[in-house]
Amino acid sequence: MGIEIGAVKLTLDELGTRLQGEFGDDLVDLRVQEPDTLVARVDRHKLHAVAAKLKGLGEIAYDSCNFVAAVDYVTHLETVYHLYSYSTNTYIELHVEIDRDNAVCDTICDIYPAANWHEREAWDMMGVRFEGHPDLRRILLKDDWIGHPLRKDYVDLVENHPNV
Amino acid sequence: MSDVFSNEAPDSAVRLAIERVKAEQSVSDLEGLELGTVIVNMGPQHPSTHGVLRLVVTLDGEVIRDVIPVIGYLHRCKEKLAERRTYFQYIPIPDRTEYVAGMNCEWGYVLTVEKLAGIPVTRRAEFIRVIMAELNRIASHLVAIGTFVADLAPLGTAMAFYTFRDRERILDLLEAASGARMMFNYFRFGGVRYDLPDGWVEKCREFLDYFPPKIVEYENLVNDNAIFLQRTLGKGVLTQEDVKEYAITGPNARASGVKHDLRRTRPYSVYPELDFEIPVGTHGDVYDRYQVRIAEMRESVKIVRQALDMLPKGPVQLGTLRPPYVITPPPGACYTAQENPRGEYGTYIVSDGSRYPYRLKYRDPCFVNLQVFPKLLKGVKIADAIAISGSMDLVLGGIDR
Amino acid sequence: MARVMDHYPKLERFEHPNIVTTTADLVFNWARSRSIFPFTYGIACCAIEMLSSGFARFDIARFGWEVFRPTPRQCDLMIVAGTVNEKMAPVLKRLYDQMSEPKWVISMGACATSGGPFYDGYNVVNGVDKIVPVDVYIPGCPPRPEALFHGMLQLQKKIQKMSFVAPRIDEGDELALASLRGEGERAVAPAGQTDGRLPTNAAESQEVQ
Repeated sequence: MGIEIGAVKLTLDELGTRLQGEFGDDLVDLRVQEPDTLVARVDRHKLHAVAAKLKGLGEIAYDSCNFVAAVDYVTHLETVYHLYSYSTNTYIELHVEIDRDNAVCDTICDIYPAANWHEREAWDMMGVRFEGHPDLRRILLKDDWIGHPLRKDYVDLVENHPNV
Repeated sequence: MSDVFSNEAPDSAVRLAIERVKAEQSVSDLEGLELGTVIVNMGPQHPSTHGVLRLVVTLDGEVIRDVIPVIGYLHRCKEKLAERRTYFQYIPIPDRTEYVAGMNCEWGYVLTVEKLAGIPVTRRAEFIRVIMAELNRIASHLVAIGTFVADLAPLGTAMAFYTFRDRERILDLLEAASGARMMFNYFRFGGVRYDLPDGWVEKCREFLDYFPPKIVEYENLVNDNAIFLQRTLGKGVLTQEDVKEYAITGPNARASGVKHDLRRTRPYSVYPELDFEIPVGTHGDVYDRYQVRIAEMRESVKIVRQALDMLPKGPVQLGTLRPPYVITPPPGACYTAQENPRGEYGTYIVSDGSRYPYRLKYRDPCFVNLQVFPKLLKGVKIADAIAISGSMDLVLGGIDR
Repeated sequence: MARVMDHYPKLERFEHPNIVTTTADLVFNWARSRSIFPFTYGIACCAIEMLSSGFARFDIARFGWEVFRPTPRQCDLMIVAGTVNEKMAPVLKRLYDQMSEPKWVISMGACATSGGPFYDGYNVVNGVDKIVPVDVYIPGCPPRPEALFHGMLQLQKKIQKMSFVAPRIDEGDELALASLRGEGERAVAPAGQTDGRLPTNAAESQEVQ
């Protein structure tokens, strides 16, 4: 079974229309970002369902997760999912808005195993808790680090620095 | 009887390993463990993990039952630093992520900012960028192959001596152009910092004539060695399913038969005008990964030759005297990636219109490739695990950022 | 367990050496400085330059220092090549403690000297001398292999000034000072506590969760 990259030849607009048809309301503000990315917003509670459906779309399936990023816009947080489809050779970027004080999001690492460590990093750096993640521990910082550094209001505590 | 030879309380990774062993064997405490189960720490200081990678390994005799990679020993806060440096001041920092392939990493950052801000690149600079990136690709593969073969044998640094000798010649070329042997700080928005010095092109052509027989020399050194073949054929097989599921890119993916190369699938710069092949392997084992890297070095030589032939005259940076120091891209977000010697290296930058990036996120190939280790190393002997992790070519600077 | 320190001349105390040992010093220092066993402690980018210095072009073997050992127990010199961060610092300290005297530390590169380009990172320790005592600092990012050799030659000069009679002991090294005073280690280390150097069966002193 070989993975053919770009076997399905669809322009981005055609792909966008098709996805809009499949998902309807779930993909909000679907737009095209040249050269090969579709960008959309997804509601937090629909994320898991949308991701599962994207993975199982058949010949245009988005079968691999490139990265998961978390961004801190001061009023809210946002997780960005970047998924890649080998058959159409396109990417889709999903933006999920998350409440800042109660930063919880559904995990997609049961669908995309590659998202596992990215979600751990998002927890470590930004404090986004992923529900359903099998092993949500800190990944880059020490286990007893206090705080989530990439937040805009991060304060570096003295307890984090026993070696200075 | 449980023996813990450590003065510290087990940390979260070791506790997780203990939990998993207990769960597998359904024992309520470690007293009932079957003899031979050992949880051992490989790293963070270890001769064979390339960099400060720590593997908490659960062993059953010599066979690995479970591997928990622990990273973060080189976490240098690069993503937070991006918020405190202007776009221009930040250029030297991506160099230090995948430090053996600095030119490629700088390009990954500079590409995104140029796209965000809409800065065009001069044509001569595009070709120079290609030349530098491909030379750095050869240098990086030389390090990868040299250290990989050095891992396989107790003092098998013989291969490393040969590859590092040729790497020094490449670094001479790169130093003549950029001023530094490793951390180049050479790319600028809209071009590169310095034009090629006089005589550089001739020296580069000399190197390109000198190098391909050396690749033959490396192959003669190891390819027919019975021990090398025994240790590499059929080990650490990555199937195409794994490549898809774990988003593996670069030579590791190409060795499994997936022809995913960003220079062709998501072309950037002047790569569409250049003619080169994408070497792919068939089995996805350690030997194929090694072969793909050797073949890629040959392809890179081809690319550099073509680029040197096609090198146009002209300026190498925008603006007359100085590169643009202060850049304020319009608000927005953008992700671009380029083909690093290890895979897809990209940056996702969110800009809020100010001089400082609002958020910079690296998509690092080694970080993503490392996730497949628990699956890849399960049921494998320790010696093979060393060979497999050497062939995956990890650079901790990129994993930890 | 008798330590080597116990056999050092009890004739002279640390503070008032009355015997001048010239030839012995010369011989020992010459041997020590010409065959240092460096410790492969490459953390980051500087490690690649350290590697390069070991290979054919910048041959470190011409100085006699090519025996890089991966275990600290067999090494004299720890070249800290790379940034040390809060997660790595305890590991560094532990490895330093595992080396046996006489030992030296070279801090290679800007990061190990003072934090380098990452000085304002939250996770970065600004200089390895906050954790271990450093003998030679080599600036650079990364320092060329020639710079590394210059630093190591400076270390050679430093070693040549060492004296056999006054062993080099750290200020806070209670065990060594105690043994020079004539007391054994039991006076210093309370029962059940270790200093990280000696392997113990921690089953008694610590519970495993």
